[in-house]
Amino acid sequence: MSTAELADLLAQVRAGDSDAWGDLYGQYAPAIFRFCRRALPTREDAEDATTEIFMKVRQKLGMYDSSRPFTAWLYKVASNHCWDTLRRRRIRQDLETGDLETLPLEHPDPSQLEQLQMDHDSKHVRAGLAKLPDRARMALVLRYYSEMSYDEIADTLGVRRAFVGVLLLRARHQLRDVLAESGGGLQGAVARGRS
Amino acid sequence: MSHFDEMTCLLYLEGQLDADHADGVRTHAAGCAECRGLLRALQTESVWLRESLEADDESVPARLVQAPEHGGAPWGWISALGLSAGGAYTLWSGFIEPWQAQAAQAGFTQGNLLTMLFFSGAFWKGWDAMRSLMEFLAVGTLGLVVMWLLRRHLRRTTALAVVMGALALMVALPPSAGAAERRTGDPNYSLPAGEVVHTDLIVYADSTRIDGDVEGDLIAFSRNVTVNGHIKGDIIAFSQELRVNGPVDGNVRAFVQNLQLYGTVTRNVLAWAGDVNLDQDARVNGTLTAGSGHLEMNGKLAGDLLAFTGDADINGQLGRNASIRAGHLTIGSKAEISGQATAQLRRPPDVSTGAKLGSPLDWTITKSGPETRYSSARYYVHHVLRWGASFLFGLVLLFVVPGFFFDAVKACGKTAPAIGFGILFLFAIPIAAIIVCITVVGLGVGISAMMFWAIAIYAAQVLVGAWLGEKILGEGAGAGAALGRLALGLAILRALGMLPFLGGWISFVVVIWGIGAVALAIYKNMRPQLAAAAVAV
Ligand SMILES: [Zn+2]
Repeated sequence: MSTAELADLLAQVRAGDSDAWGDLYGQYAPAIFRFCRRALPTREDAEDATTEIFMKVRQKLGMYDSSRPFTAWLYKVASNHCWDTLRRRRIRQDLETGDLETLPLEHPDPSQLEQLQMDHDSKHVRAGLAKLPDRARMALVLRYYSEMSYDEIADTLGVRRAFVGVLLLRARHQLRDVLAESGGGLQGAVARGRS
Repeated sequence: MSHFDEMTCLLYLEGQLDADHADGVRTHAAGCAECRGLLRALQTESVWLRESLEADDESVPARLVQAPEHGGAPWGWISALGLSAGGAYTLWSGFIEPWQAQAAQAGFTQGNLLTMLFFSGAFWKGWDAMRSLMEFLAVGTLGLVVMWLLRRHLRRTTALAVVMGALALMVALPPSAGAAERRTGDPNYSLPAGEVVHTDLIVYADSTRIDGDVEGDLIAFSRNVTVNGHIKGDIIAFSQELRVNGPVDGNVRAFVQNLQLYGTVTRNVLAWAGDVNLDQDARVNGTLTAGSGHLEMNGKLAGDLLAFTGDADINGQLGRNASIRAGHLTIGSKAEISGQATAQLRRPPDVSTGAKLGSPLDWTITKSGPETRYSSARYYVHHVLRWGASFLFGLVLLFVVPGFFFDAVKACGKTAPAIGFGILFLFAIPIAAIIVCITVVGLGVGISAMMFWAIAIYAAQVLVGAWLGEKILGEGAGAGAALGRLALGLAILRALGMLPFLGGWISFVVVIWGIGAVALAIYKNMRPQLAAAAVAV
């Protein structure tokens, strides 16, 4: 869809045209569902979230600044919604696992890391992601699926910008550990000492 | 020179280092195989992550094909109400009617049992007792708060086991002593004089007559139960009438329409009944707790009396204190109360001048007329306290099971299905629980289900309140926001519940709505397990 076509469609939706709304939904719902599917732990959650995100989009369409890309705005709405959903459920875990953030990370062995990547296909990785803590999973999805900038990630997850890199690195470590534990060719964690 | 760490390498690859810093890494890596290796591994990891996330192996579900309409389609309402009506009809025609027919064949007159259980005696006259149940729940909530504070010392399952155990103890069913004799009436059952049952005796019959002795408990589901023999354990009766002439060494627990006590009970009497009558020959060595329409107490009671009742008529001896909440209280000339008697009444009591009271009767009037009710400060204080109790309960739910809490609050938004399921569950659970009690699975499960049901009723207002708060203030994130919304929503619900006439109906709808949301949330959480179970089979 060209920029002009999209602008036209959005104008019709704003004017209350329900066919235009259906077109817009048909155009973007699959992508938003896939995003939710990666950001949230279960398929049911992703289905619910997709519907809710589009309800929000319809309400908030007036606030969209048309000088900026529509998909970026859409992902912003979607990621905020998913993160809110997760955060609302996470109160208890927050209270109990807050200290984990300060544990030191072990340094990886590049050859073992490459082996791990070869041993796990996309399905394994997605299953592993589902097992990560919400914030870690969210950080990886926002960065490597939605291609958000560090600033946008910081804004969505409500952390300082300087912390985003730490968050991503920890998330990678957690994913490596989850995958290494779940089997494949590797035994033990992908780590070695390094001075 | 020292190597760069993984963090720096990642930031370098992601283009997040400033130019000087990035140059430093580039120069170092050109001459250092180890750092080059790490950079390459991280780079391939990024590619691997992107490819894995991009890979598309799942289709978009069918239910997402249609764009959501603003405000939702009326079809949602219509189909949900239709479904729930269909469900209710199926439940009735497939389950209750045949069961009722069977019950009729077994001696219960058609409709009699259900009428008795739901629409007569204890159930309607006992609204005061229902209210005190709510207050018990508030106390239970406090217990849960304590559990929550201790949670670090208790594993979750242990905590749950303790709570469930405490609840089971509250219901105070003695653990059944292994063996029990089961007897089904044809249609009547009688244990002749001189015969002894050495274990527990469980009887299902139209009319039950016990002239012999029972060394364990007597558990009876029957229209009429008459006990002339000696019961060494407890009597637990679900019946229309229970008449106890013989001595009972344990407790009497009666869920009946009419309880008549003529003999001696060594321990306590707990009655949930339309009428409770202690004859002048009756003697209870423990306490008497009664939730009833009418209480007549002519015998001797050694322990405390706790009564929630329509009318109370006391003309016997009370060894200790009495606490009575009743519409009307009469203390006759033969009455003797050794301890302190307190009463909350609708009308001033009639106290005979012949009555011997250890200390003067301490009574207060609780007004119920709308014109006086709203001007009484007590009335508002009471509501504020009830608001506090429900808020506390919400707090506990939110922190103990946050996932469930938010799922259920969210389910409140699906108004039509929630109300549909709510109607179904409000009536289906007690019916199912009673069936379970009477048939195979046993009392424990049935009573646990009833406890769960009572808790769900209490939780209903909390969930709807939280939802209402969110509707008004908008969705928030985190516990603080949720609590603020909960407090507001509950306050509004409570205010609405105080409206004359309408208030009762609003509270009823809230209960149905909230129970439905609980059911939806449970269903949602069970779905993966159900699916897994289906696969395993
Ligand atoms: Zn180096």
